[in-house]
Amino acid sequence: MKTTTLAKLAGCTLALLLSSFVTGQEINFAGDWSAIFHEDEPERLPGPPLVEWAGLPLNEAGKMRGLTWDPNRISVVTELQCREHGGDYSMRGLAHMRIERVIDERNQQAIAFKTRMNFHNQERTIWLDGRAHPPADAPHTWAGFSTAHFENGMMVVNTTHQKQSYTRRNGIPASADRAFTEYWYIHENILTVVTVVDDPVFYTEPLVRSQNWVLNPGLRITSNNCEYVLETPIGDDGQLVPHYLPGENPFVTETAEIYHLPIEGLQGGAETMYPEFREQLGQPLGDSRFCTLDCE
Amino acid sequence: MKQRMLTAFVLSLGFTMFAVGAGNAHHSFPATYVMDETQTIEGTMVQFLFRNPHSFVHVMVSDEETGENQRWAVEWGGASALAGSVDRSSLKPGDQVRISGQPGRNPEDHRLRMQSLEVIDGDFVWQGDFD
Repeated sequence: MKTTTLAKLAGCTLALLLSSFVTGQEINFAGDWSAIFHEDEPERLPGPPLVEWAGLPLNEAGKMRGLTWDPNRISVVTELQCREHGGDYSMRGLAHMRIERVIDERNQQAIAFKTRMNFHNQERTIWLDGRAHPPADAPHTWAGFSTAHFENGMMVVNTTHQKQSYTRRNGIPASADRAFTEYWYIHENILTVVTVVDDPVFYTEPLVRSQNWVLNPGLRITSNNCEYVLETPIGDDGQLVPHYLPGENPFVTETAEIYHLPIEGLQGGAETMYPEFREQLGQPLGDSRFCTLDCE
Repeated sequence: MKQRMLTAFVLSLGFTMFAVGAGNAHHSFPATYVMDETQTIEGTMVQFLFRNPHSFVHVMVSDEETGENQRWAVEWGGASALAGSVDRSSLKPGDQVRISGQPGRNPEDHRLRMQSLEVIDGDFVWQGDFD
């Protein structure tokens, strides 16, 4: 009896100790994070040039949308001036981020993370409480609907219900049917988020990329309200949506000529994501001596 | 006056460097403008749109050959990015300005991406970069 009592006491003590901790895998991402742009800086900051889609798993529909895109559209079409980034692109672009953890006061369990990006005050809730995603035909938002769980020292986030948006700021679209998976992990003061975009409308394979942030307690994310104005007199009669008809884009080969790269590679496709593509082309790499723009 | 110009110039460079990475990446500049060319216009500022995601300066420029006035739109940094070196009172309609910038892809669009601005009959000068 004495042994049984001691065993029960030990078991209760052990259970008490374990219950005072979180699962052991939960990670607190709360804080102010400054985006780091050592990866893909030209694309993420000043922006990509025209018809530069290397490494994007585009299908023919995605390529056609890109070739018919006119960059003036975002100025001329007033409704697009204040359009927010999609939840996926907001993790990609100019993306200083504030993360808050929401705690259920009743049981001290984390039920969500709330993120706020510095661009257009975009906010997103990442639910941790196991709730289901809404039905497929539920309203879509720019940020989408996100849920997450923890595994192997990472937070895995699944996002659906994003509005139609863009993958890259040179005409590459992102459909409202896309699913977005993220893998968040912290090492020292660096947050790394690996993102996987599955778009059945415009991609043939998942698009995998990574982005990094550094913890910055001194960061101050200010309000970033957008205002609709007449940016340019182009099409000021309100009837114009800048575009190119199929076959009429005059800039298809521009980037290829500037950097002396094969046009087949720059027009994207899943094969361009893999190193074997170089062998398929059978052409030498572009010579840096012929570079005429952004050569450093 | 020279001291104010110098101060504005230095401040604009400093705050521009700070603003890079904390500003707005709304659209792609290499997609919209010819980044390896510079064009200079001179005319009368008619509108200053100090806002996010990008400010715009509209300038009426007289065509040297035809004498016709043409409205140009010059894209600038967002209000958040320019804060500290530029505010709503930095420019006013009627200012004679000289602006250099990267031209838009279609010359008929009459648009530039700001690289430098000088108020010819004033003391405001700005030069820098933005995202």
